[in-house]
Amino acid sequence: MASQTPAVVMDNGTGYSKLGFAGNDSPSFVFPTAIATKGPAGGGGGTGSGRPAVANKPNFLSGGAGGHLSGKRGTEDLDFFIGDEALTAASGPGYGVHYPIRHGQIENWDHMERFWSNSIFKYLRVEPEDHHFLLTEPPLNPPENRENTAEIMFESFNCAGLYIAVQAVLALAASWTSSKVQDRSLTGTVIDSGEGVTHVIPVAEGYVIGSSIKSIPIAGRDITYFVQSLLRDRGEPDSSLRTAERIKEEFCYVCPDVVKEFSRFDREPEDRFKKYDVRQPGGRSVTVDVGYERFLAPEIFFNPEIYSSDFLTPLPNIVDTVIQTSPIDVRRGLYKNIVLSGGSTLYKDFGRRLQRDIRHLVDARIKDSEVRAGGQARSGGLDVQVITHKRQRHGPWFGGSLLGQTPEFKSYCHTKAEYEEIGPSIVRRFALLGGPGST
Amino acid sequence: MLLLDYQNVLIESLLRDRLAPDASPSSVDQIVSDFDNVTFHISTPESKSKILVSITIKCWKELVTYGAQAILDREYGPYIVQPEQGYDFSVQVDLDTMASKPQEEKDELVRRVSLLKRNAMAAPFEQAFDEFASLQDQAKNYSSETAPQGVREGGEVRAIHYREEEAIYVKASHDRVTVIFSTVFKEETDRVYGKVFLQEFVDARKRGVQNAPQVLFRHDAPMELQGQPGLRGGRGENVGYVTFVLFPRHLTPQKRDETISHIQTFRDYFHYHIKASKAYIHSRMRRRTADFLQVLRRARPEEADAGKERKTASGRTFRAQA
Ligand SMILES: Nc1ncnc2c1ncn2[C@@H]1O[C@H](COP(=O)(O)OP(=O)(O)OP(=O)(O)O)[C@@H](O)[C@H]1O
Ligand SMILES: [Mg+2]
Repeated sequence: MASQTPAVVMDNGTGYSKLGFAGNDSPSFVFPTAIATKGPAGGGGGTGSGRPAVANKPNFLSGGAGGHLSGKRGTEDLDFFIGDEALTAASGPGYGVHYPIRHGQIENWDHMERFWSNSIFKYLRVEPEDHHFLLTEPPLNPPENRENTAEIMFESFNCAGLYIAVQAVLALAASWTSSKVQDRSLTGTVIDSGEGVTHVIPVAEGYVIGSSIKSIPIAGRDITYFVQSLLRDRGEPDSSLRTAERIKEEFCYVCPDVVKEFSRFDREPEDRFKKYDVRQPGGRSVTVDVGYERFLAPEIFFNPEIYSSDFLTPLPNIVDTVIQTSPIDVRRGLYKNIVLSGGSTLYKDFGRRLQRDIRHLVDARIKDSEVRAGGQARSGGLDVQVITHKRQRHGPWFGGSLLGQTPEFKSYCHTKAEYEEIGPSIVRRFALLGGPGST
Repeated sequence: MLLLDYQNVLIESLLRDRLAPDASPSSVDQIVSDFDNVTFHISTPESKSKILVSITIKCWKELVTYGAQAILDREYGPYIVQPEQGYDFSVQVDLDTMASKPQEEKDELVRRVSLLKRNAMAAPFEQAFDEFASLQDQAKNYSSETAPQGVREGGEVRAIHYREEEAIYVKASHDRVTVIFSTVFKEETDRVYGKVFLQEFVDARKRGVQNAPQVLFRHDAPMELQGQPGLRGGRGENVGYVTFVLFPRHLTPQKRDETISHIQTFRDYFHYHIKASKAYIHSRMRRRTADFLQVLRRARPEEADAGKERKTASGRTFRAQA
């Protein structure tokens, strides 16, 4: 039966989970990776979205819910909500909200298992025995995490088959929809920036070059905080996180030059300054002015010193370093196919600025080496191309949807029978999907 | 508590969003699964403001013989359109004509369309419930000895082969409607959990939940199913038969819709709970492992340290006191 049903694609991120069926061009559900359970918030390391947690034993095996198991005989562990419902429940009394994923990695398996069971039965409404599953993982995910995932997928849910793919590789596949991408290769540099962390990941023919990956501790949440701090400084009538996030997503863009942008705001204020209406709980409506944060907020990718005092390297330099530390024979391919993925790459002109800045770095280096060679050697130049495309927002999910619908997908999965025979270690390796030789 | 919705959440939220006063129309094209081998296609093939919802059900042919078409006509009358290629039944929601309608009407439409699967699969139940009502009427005229064959025996068994290896059987009698689920466990662990879980159902009445329908569980096909093709069962097979006996109080016109919705979701609810129970056991196991690891960690250093030479920062050595 599982041979006809569409594969289920789940991309569980730090901030949002993207759930749906392979073959569709967008996920059916996108909601916060949050679970609300009876009792206070925090615990179990599940504070992925920066909300402070109650201190807990730093042990990944212990679940937040497992407090006094021997003393409990009821059904309180069945009493929980996920996603938007979790946030609603937690705003009332009695429930605490937890974020089982932190920096892209699952930290609380008890919560994650329940999050999945609810995702599958309540939202996707599928019998997992009837479907193959494609899950995603962040780069450099420890193999133990994969095994834990497999254990849950196979032993709790009896899913028909399982494939776990690296988000960056899926993001490359997602970029195939762009007209700028001519060959469907799995070589490129992926910039995946979501809620919790930004990764720059070089991928050569579907394999992640692990030693060259760099992470940047600046992502969506930081930009939201930055917007919030600017709103607060100006004393806006509403400076909640929610409002800051909405303003960020609706009004922010990347400018070519900060100084010029400031003077542009001064020259054409009617055009540049915006207003945002917030309906506050209680029905009152207030208006928030939106000003320089429009271009200053995303600027922290390019000039981190305006936000952070301990992380100072601009994103274009990071990308350049990542490629320069990759094997020399793939560098050309990595420069030529720099693919954006994740919610925090959606700012207007983000790709354009990135491409310009990286190009400058590359050109300067080439010039420098030409000078040092005394005009003897001339370089043919390097093609730097940043790919912005329509499926960027849910890049990893969309790539999963694309690969999950191919006829060979199911043969790349590990099945329940194989799992029973070999055990959880079977998921340490997967054949490369969408790589050379497949359609 | 872990109840499953009767409606499809995606259709519900999508339609509700699109029908909201300040929504701007946008195109959609999603093929999604639902329980029991149901597939939906939600799309906007003509224009952004015309949402087409199509459904295909594995047991559609059977449902039609039990009068599904009439029920769908009743529920979706003006919204029905020619079934989309590859699907069994389609309805279309026109956002422009709905825009001027009062909110209650929009809500009602959202509710109805998101219950498409439920309504299609209600057909055999509705038919059986009607049959029960007429048998009950007829039975009033006879004592149990004088009743003619048809009244005494009850009606036909309506089989719905809704999954590859599993089916629902519905049979009306003059004093009850019997609903039998044949259910297959792919896994031994699930079978064990399933049994425990079903025992709870069976015991519910003993514990004083008097309104609950009577539930029976057995491994071979119950008597009611004699003569049905394709039955499996007996020792060693992983098939179980769960019988619900619905009494007249479950079948009143006020109760009947809820009863149908409820009983339809039984299998999925059942399997959901088995899986949730496993998740619960797993969390206990993780907890245990963590405890053991802690014990181990506490135990180790003492042995390793005993009698070992140690150096202070200045380089002097001393022996640890055992
Ligand atoms: N249009 C937009 N412009 C800017 N930021 C956006 C936009 N839409 C979403 N975001 C931001 O993107 C982030 C979510 O992105 P995404 O869903 O890719 O993250 P994630 O996968 O949950 O997290 P991670 O990849 O870090 O595990 C949020 O911070 C959100 O505010
Ligand atoms: Mg992500």
